[in-house]
Formats: sequence, structure tokens, C-alpha cells
Amino acid sequence: MSGKLQEILIVTSDDETFTVKVEVIQRSAMIKAMLEDLGEQEGQVIPLPNVSSSVLTKVLEYCEHHKNEPLPVADANDVDDARRRTSEIGDWDANQVDQEMLFEIILAANYLDIKPLLDVGCKTVANMIKGKTPEEIRKLFNITNDFTPEEEEQIRKENEWAEE
Amino acid sequence: MSSSGEGSSQWIEPTKNDKPPKDADLAEAWAFLGQGVEHIMTRLNTGMSYSYYILLYTTIYDFCTQHRPFGAHDNYIRAFGSPRSGASLQGADLYRSLNTYLLEHSKKMRQETEKLSDIDLLKAYAKRWEQYTQGATYVNKLFNYLNKHWVKREKDEGRKEVYTVYTLALVSWKANFFKHLQADHNKPSRLTQALLRQIELHRNGEAVDSSLLKRVIDSYVSLGLDEADAQRQNLDVYKSCFQTFFLQATDAFYKAESEEYISVNSVSDYMKKAESRLQEEMDRVTLYLHDHTRSELKAVCERVLIADYRTIMTKEFQVLLDNDRISDLARMYNLLMRITGGLEPLRRLFEEHVKKAGLAAVQRILPAPGASTETADDQDPRAYIEALLEVHSKYDDVVNGPFKAEIGFNGSLDRACREFVNTNAAATTPTKSPELLASYCDLLLKKSNKDLDADALEQQLSKAMLIFRFIDDKDVYQKFYQKKLCARLVNGLSTSDDSESSMINKLKELSGYDYTQKLTKMFTDVNLSRDLTEKFRDRCKSDLDMDVSMLVLGTNSWPMVPQQTDFAVPREVQDVYDRFNKFHSDVHSGRKLTWLWHVSKNELKTTYLPQRYIFMTSSYQMAILTQFNESDSITYNDILLNTKLAEGILKPQLSLLVKAKVLLHDETTNLYDLNLNFKSKKIRVQLNQPVRAEQKAETTDVLHQVDEDRKFVYQATIVRLMKARKTMKHQALIQEVTSLISTKFTPKVPEIKKAIDHLIDKEYLERSAESNDTYQYLA
Repeated sequence: MSGKLQEILIVTSDDETFTVKVEVIQRSAMIKAMLEDLGEQEGQVIPLPNVSSSVLTKVLEYCEHHKNEPLPVADANDVDDARRRTSEIGDWDANQVDQEMLFEIILAANYLDIKPLLDVGCKTVANMIKGKTPEEIRKLFNITNDFTPEEEEQIRKENEWAEE
Repeated sequence: MSSSGEGSSQWIEPTKNDKPPKDADLAEAWAFLGQGVEHIMTRLNTGMSYSYYILLYTTIYDFCTQHRPFGAHDNYIRAFGSPRSGASLQGADLYRSLNTYLLEHSKKMRQETEKLSDIDLLKAYAKRWEQYTQGATYVNKLFNYLNKHWVKREKDEGRKEVYTVYTLALVSWKANFFKHLQADHNKPSRLTQALLRQIELHRNGEAVDSSLLKRVIDSYVSLGLDEADAQRQNLDVYKSCFQTFFLQATDAFYKAESEEYISVNSVSDYMKKAESRLQEEMDRVTLYLHDHTRSELKAVCERVLIADYRTIMTKEFQVLLDNDRISDLARMYNLLMRITGGLEPLRRLFEEHVKKAGLAAVQRILPAPGASTETADDQDPRAYIEALLEVHSKYDDVVNGPFKAEIGFNGSLDRACREFVNTNAAATTPTKSPELLASYCDLLLKKSNKDLDADALEQQLSKAMLIFRFIDDKDVYQKFYQKKLCARLVNGLSTSDDSESSMINKLKELSGYDYTQKLTKMFTDVNLSRDLTEKFRDRCKSDLDMDVSMLVLGTNSWPMVPQQTDFAVPREVQDVYDRFNKFHSDVHSGRKLTWLWHVSKNELKTTYLPQRYIFMTSSYQMAILTQFNESDSITYNDILLNTKLAEGILKPQLSLLVKAKVLLHDETTNLYDLNLNFKSKKIRVQLNQPVRAEQKAETTDVLHQVDEDRKFVYQATIVRLMKARKTMKHQALIQEVTSLISTKFTPKVPEIKKAIDHLIDKEYLERSAESNDTYQYLA
């Protein structure tokens, strides 16, 4: 890539068009790879059929905020692991969004392949679960218990070691 | 990438309306995806829009993230043995479909190239390889979601036959296309044959497309897939399918070529050919082979081009040496140095050759036989040393030129020089060379040597030191040098103090402080004596009736002993003699002064002849001649009585005076008369001629002293060793003593044994009580 292309048009699932700096959207490993392989195509739009405009706004906020950080290196698992292991979340990333939005962001991060964002989202969910009983968790995420009492007993036994 | 291009008219890019729904089944999803993959793999040049790429990516994503009820995946359970969660199942389906596509695609390419061979095959293969690998790189990224999730999990669980998409493409190419090019495992594949054919053409000087060869050969390297780690380079395919056959072909090619070439060309031409062939092959590696082949190709070439011809080359070596063919020698060195043990025979031949050259050079400067009865004694030191130097210099140039100052050849040169320097036609005993070298240095350092300025002299001295390095008996040189230095200093014959001390420094550098200690001391003595003479003259004021100059020399440093004779100090010099004795004991009380009459010189003025002459005499002659102040005619017996000289010393001195016609001898009466009719063309008459017999005795004397000194060296070395070790075995002691002494001279074992016995007698050592081949040191 010659790097001449500065901005690019993105169309969301709800047909909204965003003008995005290439430098910002390249946080998405998927889009970065595509731009590299297909080259610069002036005036072409990138449709994102799996992302809504409200979610993309949030994602772009994240990308804009982190645009100067080094991009994660492909297959750099060691670094990723170290980052994933901590449950700490940076001040900016801890910006509260509602639960629905949180899940949408996680899905979008997975689809667009924005690993740090995916990690931060999953970490947030993990922090929500931490220290809660299964009943509390079901309530939190609005899950109906579809286990029979026998199944539940069985699972409790299998996981006894973790109860301490 | 441009979106226009060939074939774009037939290709209509699908739009979002063609994209299968999120819950599409495999057949529907693959119908859409397969078309996209086919497009990338075969028509990449026609381009692809962002939106189509995203549609394909999204289809893969959607398919992999579908939620499906369990029951729908009986296929999966059958295929992989155990039930998995939803996402794994779609991944497997997709992976299998992709694999099937790649298999069909590879097969198709195989069929397309089935009838091709040689350059056509290479071209077709390279073109397809390029398109295939480029396409696979794109597809690999497109299927990133599959790679990252399904493939990664399968691999984490230890499944070996699951690869990331790019590797899968290579595996398919290798299994369905590449492998089929090779019909028989022991023979090169059609593709390899085509490569070898091009390489042969290249070797025969024809132009080939090396970038084409490189592209094809690189594919062999890429196809070496490491099962455990796809990132790691694995050269198995390159080695087994190409390198082995390539090396065989190389071997055969050069065997045939060399055999034919050497049969019609000279060895010298052959070496040129081999040299350029070796270079060509190394260039070939850079041009289109994998660097791994370098060392093995080198080994093959060196074997067929050099090792197989080493005997022929070695035979030619002597011819090259004899004719000073410098560039051929360099070439031969460069070739044979590449093979193990290749240089060893050359080093031996070279050593022998230099030795012979040295001996021949000495033979040439020998005086013609019969010209003199005392050939060895009359050997001209200058001619001798210069002959040795010339040989050394010539072959030193050869070592530093064609032989690149290689350490082994330096060793050969040194050994050869050592051999012919110490033993040759002029030096039949090991002491002759050191003696001649000392004489040569004496010639250089003497005042009479006027043809050299200080710098040139310095150079000559440095060259003389080259020969000194090779001298075995350095102690013999030391003794002779000391003797000559003594003569130069006593007689004031040195060309300059600077050159003398520079020479002593050179010796010190090579042989150490001990070696030159005495020489330095001699130098100091002479300077101190100058001051002493001044002081003595001052003390005497002007009431001396003659001019005197004294040298007071340390007994230990100077190789001079008083002669075995009485001597009556003539009354004419008695006064000075007494006053100096007194002066000396005043200045250095307690030091014993011994007068060395035989080295002192005098100048006598004649008063009995019409013409005044100055006779330059020895002190003995002075003592004889002053007798004639009393009478013009004296009997032999009176002279003997008055001078108190021993007869053996007196007679030669008298005969010198008679020969010079200063005295006349009447044989019958044994009466000596002053020749009142003495005439000479010169005012200054040199009567102080060396006595023939003395001169000869000198050499024997020096050698005798050397032997005496050596006894002490043996003893001192043994004592030093034993003091450190306390006990030593006989054999070990002999060995160590030998190695310690050999820097000074060549030790002889019987002499060491004698020294040991002597030390036992003196109770420095004793034989051990337990074993009789062990000595103990006695403190």
C-alpha cells in the first residue's frame, strides 16, 4: 500500500455511512488485511453487514482512543496472555455501557478482529460474574435454568474442587 | 489491484443480494464461498472489490458462528469420533470443502502440465506456482476466522493433519501435483530433470533464465513442511528431490570434464580451469540455489576438481618451484589448501627444495678446490652470509607471496634454513656458521667498512639477525662476537657506538638480557676507562714524558687472560707503570690490577737513523727494542734474560722484527744487531703483526671456552630444575634439560649425563633409595 488513502467510507447494517480514517479502522485486523491484499480502491465503500451504526460508533471511539498504540502482532500469544490474565481495565475502557451494548461490542470486536477490544469486553463480563452464585448470574443475564435437579447435582459434584 | 483486466467481461462479481443468509447450510454457503475462492485462486488479476471481500468474510463468519441443534451433526461425530460444540462442527465442514477444492485445483494443474518437459515444464510450473501461492496467501487471510478459531483449537488439541489454510494449500500442491512429477523415488522428477538440464546448459556456457530456475527451486524449499512447526524451515524436500540429484550430476559433469581436459592440457591450465569452475559453482549457489547447498557443493567440487588431481598437481609443484612460476604456485596453493592434507606434501617438497637451494648457494661461493690448503679457514664471511641471506630472502618472498604467509610454509622455510645454515659445505661443524656470522658482523661494524651509511648498516645488521635466528649454537656466536667486539673496542676500530649498541639490542631482543649482559658491560668499561685516563693525566700534570691511554676492564666480562709468561717492565715505562698502579689503588682500593701486556700497543720514535721513523709495536717488541738503547748488538740469551719473556713468545716477536729488517740476526752467533741502514717508504712502520700461530689458536681457544661454559649451563639448568621439582625421573630430567637448553645450543645427552654425575659427586643431587632412575635434590 502506498498509504495515500487517508479516509474510507463504511456502511453499517442499518445503512448509515461513516467516513473513517484508515489509521483508525486499521485497528480491525480483518480490515487491515483486506486493505493490504486488495490495495487502495478510491471511492469504494466497505459494507459491514454485521455491525449496526450505534455499535460501530462505540467501536470507532475505542479505535480512535487507542489509535497510537502498537497493533497487536499476529500470533503474539505470549503478550496477549499477559494482558488477558489481569482483570484490570484501563480508566477509559471502563466507560459504562449497558449490558446489551456490551454484548454487541464483544460480537463486533470478534467479527472485526479487534483483539484488545474483544479482551476488554470479555474481561468486563468476567468481572461481572466474579463472586456470584449461579442463581445470581442467571438473574443478571436473564437466563432460564434448563437443567434438571439431577443434572445440576451432577455438575455441582464435578466442580466441587473449585468451591473452596 | 485494478478492477479491470482480462476476463472481467465474463466475471460478474456477486453482490450482497447473492450472499447466503446467516443460517445457510453448508451447501448453500459453500456455493457462494467456493466461487469466491476460485476467483481468488485463478482470476486474482481481475481484482476484487471491498464489498465482495467483506461478503465472503462475513459468510465465513456467519457460518462458523451459527447455532445449530445437536442432532444435525451426525456427520461430524462420524468423522471425528467425539461430539463437539456447535462452532467446531461448521468449521470442520468448511475446512473439508476448502480442502476438496484445493485438491481438485492441484489435480487440474497436474493434468495441464502432464505432457510438458524441460524448459516448457519449468515455465508452466513456475507460472502456476506463483499464481497458486499468491492466491493461497489471500485465501488464507480471508479464512482468518477459521484459522484463528477452528484450526487453532484443533491444533491445540493435537490434531496433526489440520493446517492453517495457507499450509493446507501447500500440502495439497505437494500431494496432488508436485509428487506426481516424480515417477520413481530413486530418479529425479520430471521437474528436477528439467532443472538439471538447464544447469548443464549453463555449465556449458549457454545463457539460461536463472530467475526462472530460482523460482522453481525456491518452491522445493517452500514445500518442505515441518509437521511440528509450520514456521520452521524444513529442507527435506529440497534435499531429497533436488539437492541429491544435483550433486550427483555435478560429480559426473566435472569428472568427465576434468578427465578430458587434463588429457590435452597442461597442469597449469588445468589449475586455471579448476579455479574458475570453483568460483562459478559458488556463484551458482548465490544465483539460484539454496545457501544450504553451498558447503556440500563445495565439497563435491573440491573432491572431483582438486582431490582427484592432487597427485598430478603435487608432482608439478617441483617444476613450478624450479622455474619460479609464482602465479602458478599461488594457484596451486589456493586449490590444495581447500582439501584436508592437501598442503602437507607441498610443505615437505618446499622444505627440501629450500634446503637444497641453500646448500647449492654455499657450494657456489666455496673457494675453488686446491686454491688454498685451508679452505674452511679462508672462507669469506661476507660472501657466505650473503649467500645464505639471498636464499632466505628469495623463499621468504615465496612464502609471503603465493603461499599467503601460511604458518605451515613458514615452518618449512624455517626448518630448511636452520638445516642449511648450520650444516653445509662451508660449515662442516656446527660451530663454523656462528663463527662466520660473528666475523660478518665484525666486518660490518669495523671502521674499515666505509661503503655503508648508518641506515644501510642498520639494515645489514637486521638481516644478519635473520641468520642468527637459525643458528643452533648461539653460545658459539656469543663467544666469537664477544671476542671480535673486544678487539674492536680495545683497538678503537668500531664504526660507531650507536651501531654497536643497536646490534647488542637486537641480540638482547632475540636471546634475552643474560645473553648480552657481558657485551653491555664491555661497552661500559670502555667508557669508564676514558674518564679514568683523563683523571690520571690530570693527576700527572705535564711531568709524564709520554702519552698514555689506559683501558681498565672487568675480568669477568672480557674474554682476555694474561699470557703465560714473565715480563720485565722496561725501565723506560717503569715510572708510568708505578704511578698508574698507585693511582688505580687510590681510586679503586681493593681491586686487583692485572696488566695485559700482550694486547697493549706502543709507538716508538727512532733516533738512530737519518730519517725519523715511528715504529708501531707490541709491548713485547717495545721491551726488546728498548734493550738496544744500551747496545747495538745483543745476544739472544741476554734478550731472554732482560725481558724475562717465555721463549715461545719471544721468538716469534724477534722474527717479526728481523723480517721487518729492524733487527739483523746472525744465525751462527745468535746475535741480534740493530739495522742502522733501516729504510722504509712510510714514516709510520707497523711492526705489530699478528702471529700466525696465535690466530689459529684463537679459534680453538674460543671453542674450548664454549665447551667449558656449556658444562656450567648443563649444571645450572639441572640444578634449577631439580630445585623446583625436588625429585625427577632420569628420562624426564634429560628431556626437560634438552628442551630448556636448545634455545642456546644443541645439547648432547652424554654431556647432560656427565653433568648429573658431577652434581652427584658434589652432593647437589643423589639417586633415590627406592628407584635408581630417580634423582633427588639435596638442599
